[in-house]
Order: sequence, then structure tokens, then C-alpha cells
Amino acid sequence: MTDALLVELADQVLGATCTHEAIQAAERDGWAPGVWARAAEAGLHRVALEEGGTLADALAVLRAAGRHAAPIPLAETGLLAGWLLAGAGLPVGDGPLTVVPGRPGDRLALSGDRLAGVAHRVPWARSAGRVVALVASDGGWLVAAAPAESISLERRVNLAGEPRDTVRFDGPVEVAAAAPGVDPEALRHRGALTRVVLMAGALERMSRMTVGYTSERVQFGRPVARFQAVQRHLVDGAQDAVLVGMAADAAVRAAEGGQARFEIAAAKLLANQAAFTATRAAHQAHGAMGMTREYPLHHLSRRLWAWRSEYGDEAFWSARLGAAVARAGADRLYPAIAGGSSVVDV
Amino acid sequence: MRFQPTELTEGERALQREVREFLAAELPRGSYVPGLGMQAGRDRAFSRRLAERGWVGMALPRRYGGGDRTAVERFVVVEELLRWGAPVGHHWVADRQTGPVINRFGTETQKQRFLPPICRGELAFSIGMSEPNSGSDLASVQARATRTGGGWLLNGTKIWTSGAHVNDWFIVLCRTSDEADRHEGLSQLLVDLRSEGMQVNPIPFLDGTEHFNEVVLHDVFVPDDLVLGGVGMGWAQNTSELAHERGGPDRWLSTYVVVEQFLREHAGEPLGPRAEELLGEAVARWWGLRQLSLSVARQIDRGEAPSAESALVKEMGTRFEQDVLAAVQRLVDLEPSPDTESLFEGLLVRSVLTAPSFTIRGGTNEVLRSVAARGLDR
Repeated sequence: MTDALLVELADQVLGATCTHEAIQAAERDGWAPGVWARAAEAGLHRVALEEGGTLADALAVLRAAGRHAAPIPLAETGLLAGWLLAGAGLPVGDGPLTVVPGRPGDRLALSGDRLAGVAHRVPWARSAGRVVALVASDGGWLVAAAPAESISLERRVNLAGEPRDTVRFDGPVEVAAAAPGVDPEALRHRGALTRVVLMAGALERMSRMTVGYTSERVQFGRPVARFQAVQRHLVDGAQDAVLVGMAADAAVRAAEGGQARFEIAAAKLLANQAAFTATRAAHQAHGAMGMTREYPLHHLSRRLWAWRSEYGDEAFWSARLGAAVARAGADRLYPAIAGGSSVVDV
Repeated sequence: MRFQPTELTEGERALQREVREFLAAELPRGSYVPGLGMQAGRDRAFSRRLAERGWVGMALPRRYGGGDRTAVERFVVVEELLRWGAPVGHHWVADRQTGPVINRFGTETQKQRFLPPICRGELAFSIGMSEPNSGSDLASVQARATRTGGGWLLNGTKIWTSGAHVNDWFIVLCRTSDEADRHEGLSQLLVDLRSEGMQVNPIPFLDGTEHFNEVVLHDVFVPDDLVLGGVGMGWAQNTSELAHERGGPDRWLSTYVVVEQFLREHAGEPLGPRAEELLGEAVARWWGLRQLSLSVARQIDRGEAPSAESALVKEMGTRFEQDVLAAVQRLVDLEPSPDTESLFEGLLVRSVLTAPSFTIRGGTNEVLRSVAARGLDR
């Protein structure tokens, strides 16, 4: 069970700070210092790191961040970089952090305490106090934390205008052995889980926004939500929202139990598919209004399109899940559908 | 619209294991031709054996022969039966909807008369809702019962009545009076399918089978004590009955056996990337739909009435039943032949020839979308 008060606090803080104007400004400036300051003051960035804070609590806060399209590295700071650092016994600190997600074309090499190489699509690297990466070594995976002085970067963004920088490493870093079981595969699963939860939040809000807009927008003398053709879009969007919401809940619950690879794969796959179908329905129902940057739908739809391809697109996860289920065989097909990771490892 | 996440308790998982063991012993693979979900074959003996285990009418009260079990426990049993392709046809309608409706609205006499044989897996019911001129618009039914000594004389025509030629009873939605509001003046009558004045005419189904019927009722006498619930209460009761029809595993498992058999016939050989991706997509969606459907069952156990939620799930689940079938067809280079001896091909043929019905039966997807849309601002 998650802490309802914590979620209420997150919704309050993010609802108050992630205004339409603030999100627009964050995209223009590449950083939202005001949103970050309020979120950090409320402790939203390190829920999982505090004593008594659970993974489920941190992910519930992240879902609120998805609802509000919060333009800050909440997933990166506590759940990904902070998790790697804490597991390796390195200090986490209190400022914004980011993590190297691990894209094809990344090359990282440690020599003593100096890290050299390049990493792509690093969220908010320009604003992070340290960039945290997993680096291979003969003795297993190492966690390296590079301070701003040891990197240079090219500013890049995703479809939603969120910073996804290219980072060049050349300088001293803090290094320690990663916690047992922590490797790029584990990071990918945990990263995918953060995107599932963000997407579940965004889909939920997008469905509500669409129902709200169509019940106010009047054409032919009545709210357009009364037309069956429009209701179809509302139902499509709501179905995606509840399906991904439920999948996110199940994946979080499994992650709390420690075995969640099936659930995360399935949930990310469903979320990625919904990124197409739910945004199409929401935009169609909004008409031209949804095509402007003046109306807030795009804060959600563009993020869904961007998050869809982060930490595994649907081709990646369907292949992984399908191969695992095929290996398990026909007799375990339904048990896998009903039992997930307890039956099939992905 | 609210879906609370839930999972099976230890006791419910034990029940799941029990059902799996029962099926493996009673219906070993290869000893039967799997059915397509609720469209599976009728087997009175199998229904009776299930009932002996307490798995028919299990959510009905113990004093009428039921098991006092929960909607979730019924979900656990039903999903295993359906994914196994077990022959549930004989008791299906009685177990899913008629039993619960009689239990909720029936008189004490009706409950004592009908529920025990339903729970024994004996009594089979059909559904008497649709008419030639009333499909989605059920309030327009023209079947009419008029007063006569000690009861009613029923006239009219019911259509698409699955199993009327072999089942025992059906509940007929009919008009008992004319009112300003057409949703009033409707009643549900319990009618013996062997009554005098009844004619059952088979209607060949798309796949060539004859389970579909037209039932013509001519001055069929229905005694007062077979009016279900109250005279004039038909609309509310019928709506409640429809809610029982929706949102369960029968709405997303109709084509499951086709995929499982595909996998079985390719055991030990690489499936190839395309097949694996499609399998991954299908498994993810079954897994997600199952969570939603299970959540609906929990809501029912909390005493809620998740009618919009059920409609939303059924609409999504039945479309998926068709989508997954299309995906499998695109994977195999096959000219499907109804006279095939291959189990996979036979299942494929039967599915292809019945799939359009998935999004029609039990409420068309168009109607379901309206029901679901009304629940969206909650």
C-alpha cells in the first residue's frame, strides 16, 4: 500500500508549480528551478532513499509527476541515479542527479578514477549535480559519478522538449562496485518501470482532460461529448488509461516483491502502445484546439510519445516477452498470463 | 471510473491449483477438442462433475445448493475452464447470469425450485431478450403477456436464442402493460422451453452449426408464480442481468486456445522474430485485461455495481479476441479448410467463422461504449 498522504502532497506541490506557463518556460529555458526547489523542499525527489520510504511510495509520487507533466528529473534523481549511488555506498546528496540510460553508441571506459567516453540521451545532464553511469570492469559492474567539471555536453531534447543531452566524459569520477544484481539489464528494467508509471499518470490526466474538454465544447447545439462518434474517442482514451494504470500498479507491486521482469516488460509494452492510441483519440477529440501550444494537451501527448521510446520501445519488449513465453512453452502460457514473473522470467 | 488493483489471495490460488489438477485429470490434453470460450460444447456429464466439486452456481447461497463463494472465486474457476476450452456450454448461462438473477430478484418459491438444479449442473437456460425488431434497443420488445386466469398468455417471437432446442428454460423479457415511459410495463417471465404453444426453429450459424434459434411463442401459458421478481420490474432486472454478462474472462478468452495450440504445434522449433513479437503483444494484453477483469470481480464482492467498468472491459476484451485471431492468421501460410484434421487449423477455422459475433453478443460494442462513456465523469 502506498502512502495516500504522500501522494496528496505530491499532487498539491506539483499541481501548484507545474502550471501551463511553468512547463512552457521549462521547455524554453531547459530547466525549471522553481518547480525543482518546491519538489525538493517537499522531499519528492528522494522518497525511496529516506528511511521508511518504499519503492511503491516513490513510484506513486512519480505517477503524480506524470499527471502534472512535471519538467524535473524526479525519476532520475531518486529512483535511478540515487538507487545506483546508494547501492554502491556512494553519497547521494540532495541536488538533482541524472543517469546514463545506456543507448547504442555509448562508449564509457574507466582508467583509474578517470572516466572517458560519450553517452547519449542523458536526461537533464545540463542541470544535474552529477551524472551517474554503470561502467564495465573486469571485476563486475561499477557505479561512476561524474561531477559537472568532468563532463562537457551537447544540449539535446526529446519530443516533449525535455533535456536529453549528449555527455562527453573526461575527468575524475567517484567509483564504487555496484550493488549485487545491479547491471545494465537491471537498470533497464527499473528505468522502464519509471517510464511506465510516468506514462500511467499522463494517460490518466489526458483522459480526464479530454472528457472535460468535450463536455464543455459545444457544437451543433450540444456538448460534443454527447456525440457517439466522440464518445468512442473518450472510451478509447479511458481504456488505455485504466489498462496502463492497472499494469503500472501490478508492475510496482511485483517490483516491491523483487521479481518483476515479466510485469515490467508487459506494462511498458502496453504503455508504449497506448502512447499511439490514446494520444490519437485525445487529439481527435480536441480538434484544432489540441494542436496548439496554448492548450495543455501537448504537455502530455508529447511526453507520451517521448517516453514510449525510452528504456525499450514496443518492438524491444514484445520480442523479449514473446521469446520468454515461447521458451516456456504452451503448457505454461496461461499460467504466465495469470502468474507473471512467478512463472516466467523475461 | 475506478479500478482498484488486486491479486489472488493464498486461498484463491489454492482453488486455482485445485481446478488445474481437476482439468488435467478429467480432461487431459488430446482427449477432447477444445472449445472457443463460452461457445464450448455442451456436456451434461461434465457439468455435473463440475457441480459435484462445487464449481457450478458457486457464488449462490448454500441453502439453495450453492457454495456461498465470491465473484473472485468464480472468476478463478471460470478462467481456468475457458482457457482449457472445457465443455461449459450446458451450464454456462445458468451459472453466469440466470442463477444470480433468480437469486437476486426471485421469490422464495422460485429460488427453491430453480437454484438447486442449477447448482447441480442440471438445469440449462437460454436467454430470451432479442427479437426480430429488438436488438440493442431492448425496451422496444414486442413479445406480450396478457392476463388470463391464474397467470399470463405469452405471445411473440424471440430470436438468436442459443441452445433453445436443447436447453430447459429461458427468461423472456416481454411487455405486460403499456406505459408512457416504455421502460416501464416490462416483465421477465420464467418459461419452460417445452411449454405448449412453443415452436423452436433452428437458424444456421455462420460456421454451419445450429445452436441459434428463433422461438415463436403462441398463447404460451405462464402461471403467476413464474413471473420473475415483480410485474413491471423487467427493465431494471434485465439491465442487472446484462451486467452479469459483461467484463468476465469469457470476454477476452474466446480465441486463447488458438494461440496456445499454435505454440504447442511449434514446440521445439524457433518461432521467428515476428511470431515472438506478436506473442509478446498478446500475452501483455491478456495479462492487462485479466487484471482489469479481476478488479471488476472484486468490486462485485464489495457490493458495488461496476456496470460502466464491465462495459469498458468487455468492449476492449472482445476487440482483442478478434485482433489476436487476425494476428495469428497473418503468421501462418495456410488456406484454412473446414475439413482439416489438424487441431490448430480446426480451431482457426471455427474462430474465424464465429469471431464477428464476439463484439455483438451480450451487448454490441457500440452500446457498450455508450454505457462506458456515461461512467467516465465519475
